Amino acid sequence: MRRALVVAAKELVETFRDRRAMMMTIATAALAGPIFLALIFNMIASQGERARTLALPVGGAERAPALVAFLEREGVRIVPLPADAEARIRAGELDVALVIEPDYAAQVAEGRPASVRLIYDRSRDRARASIDQAESLLRAYARQWGAQRLMLRGVVPDVGQPLEIVAVDLATPQQSGSLILFLVAYYGLFAAVMGGMPLALDATAGERERQSLEPLLATPATAGEIVAGKWLAVAAFAGIVVVVTLTGFYLTLSFAPLPPVGIPFLFGPREFGRFLVILLPMIALMPSLLLWLGSRGRTIKEAQTNLSLMLFIVSIVPVAQLFLQRREPDWLVAAPISGQYLLLNRALRGEAISPGDLALSCVVPAILTIVALWTIARRYSNESMLAGR
Amino acid sequence: MIAVEHLAKRFGKRGEIRAVDDVSFVAPRGEITGLLGPNGAGKTTLLRMLATLIVPDAGHARIGGLDVVAERAEIRRRLGVLSDARGLYPRLTGRENIAYYAALHGLGGADRDKRIDALVDELGLGDVAGRRAQGYSQGEKMKVAIARALVHGPDTILLDEPTNGLDIMSVRALREQLRRLRAEGRTLLFSSHVMQEVAALCDRIVILGRGRIVATGTAAELIAQSGAATLEDAFVALLGSGEGLAA
Repeated sequence: MRRALVVAAKELVETFRDRRAMMMTIATAALAGPIFLALIFNMIASQGERARTLALPVGGAERAPALVAFLEREGVRIVPLPADAEARIRAGELDVALVIEPDYAAQVAEGRPASVRLIYDRSRDRARASIDQAESLLRAYARQWGAQRLMLRGVVPDVGQPLEIVAVDLATPQQSGSLILFLVAYYGLFAAVMGGMPLALDATAGERERQSLEPLLATPATAGEIVAGKWLAVAAFAGIVVVVTLTGFYLTLSFAPLPPVGIPFLFGPREFGRFLVILLPMIALMPSLLLWLGSRGRTIKEAQTNLSLMLFIVSIVPVAQLFLQRREPDWLVAAPISGQYLLLNRALRGEAISPGDLALSCVVPAILTIVALWTIARRYSNESMLAGR
Repeated sequence: MIAVEHLAKRFGKRGEIRAVDDVSFVAPRGEITGLLGPNGAGKTTLLRMLATLIVPDAGHARIGGLDVVAERAEIRRRLGVLSDARGLYPRLTGRENIAYYAALHGLGGADRDKRIDALVDELGLGDVAGRRAQGYSQGEKMKVAIARALVHGPDTILLDEPTNGLDIMSVRALREQLRRLRAEGRTLLFSSHVMQEVAALCDRIVILGRGRIVATGTAAELIAQSGAATLEDAFVALLGSGEGLAA
């Protein structure tokens, strides 16, 4: 055990000596979160902003003075319709435009449905809030007008409204920022994977490439001690990267002057702590997998090729889960990566996490960690590690 | 003392490559024994078996009375190995590279520092030891690798082609170091394909060809045995050809 600690200390010293790689790793970990958060908050805020003071270009406003008056009363700023309105909407410069058809007045006079044209491009996310607002205002106007007509004919307006929809949105304020939820959990998970990568490759394939493995194996340190030491070092480093990443999120969410978007987002010291506990099995497992893959390569380059598949799986699983429309099955909590992602999401939503679920999420990663380390130790005591440069 | 008896090792899927084939010899205490053979003669495989890094298929080898298979943990504590692969950690200083191995051998504190100081001094490393290994010359790397192999004061020392890639000055410094170790009564076994290296340094020579022992003895004995006029002619006569050997 003492020798394992000697190995771990040496690996960490060597890593911290590599200034450039260190700076890159720490800076990416600390900044990636805040930058993405800032972008997303900005997007949400500008959507809200656009919707609040909707500036609606209206063509033929003089044909429907009552409608225009209604819109103005609802806080919409009516602006003249530019001649190239459609082109500008297509280009994303305008969100939405309203055109009142020439025979509007005639249709109204005859009691037929009067036509107005609402022009928009729904594929543009940023425009969606404006589109929805314009659409719902028009519907409200139509409903109000219809009710007045019914009353004129002595009919209770309720007759034309057989269904009353009362929307009960169960999303707590925290849940509404689901994209942010996803991002925070995703980055926390990813930090545990990426954090240890350079060190894991350097300590395995790099050691073989530099020809320093054979003399190391000839020392009294056993293969088990060497592997345990390297794993301790990589796990410690991955842990540091996770803490730095989460600190970046925490500081951004608590102190940065983010635009007010009405999401009282929960990521305080309590969530920070829960995140660390949930990610612990990954901080143990990922380094052992990285070392396992690294030990299969004779050179760093060879090991990197082996790594790409694992990185792909780790990065695709949470994305797949995000798009999963059904509720997650209960066993998912036991699956590595998926389980952690699920629990991280619960922690962010402010839901309770049962100790049973937490324990369950550790079982498979713990077994895999031990199997991986055992496999590497066996390989390190195998003669084939010496063969081939 | 190193005593090797009928040692054998095969490689390949069906064991068709006989890297070391029925090798027996003795390397006595207080002497430098040279293992001379052309490239591919099996020198590295033989040394790796003695260093407990690979397990022989047949035969026995004892180092200081300990069996290389059954007592490998104890052998590793007592053996100093300068292997064919001798990479340093580039981001550690020479001194730290040596200290790492000292720590793995269980040395610590003032003891370790004194031992490293002594080695740095003996090998003439001087200020170089405080610099990172990144920018070392071949000679400096070799010196640190040797210091690393000797830091725990081993009784028996194995060196695989120690002069490879060294300039004349470094080779001379190395020879001096090996003679000093011999004077201290240690057992030294070193391999080389350079004839002059072996002739200049060794008390006893073991000639290896295609995994088998071709001849053993002192330089004078080998000349007498082959009936040749010079040591070089003796080598060529004994090996059947001078291929793979450097003068």
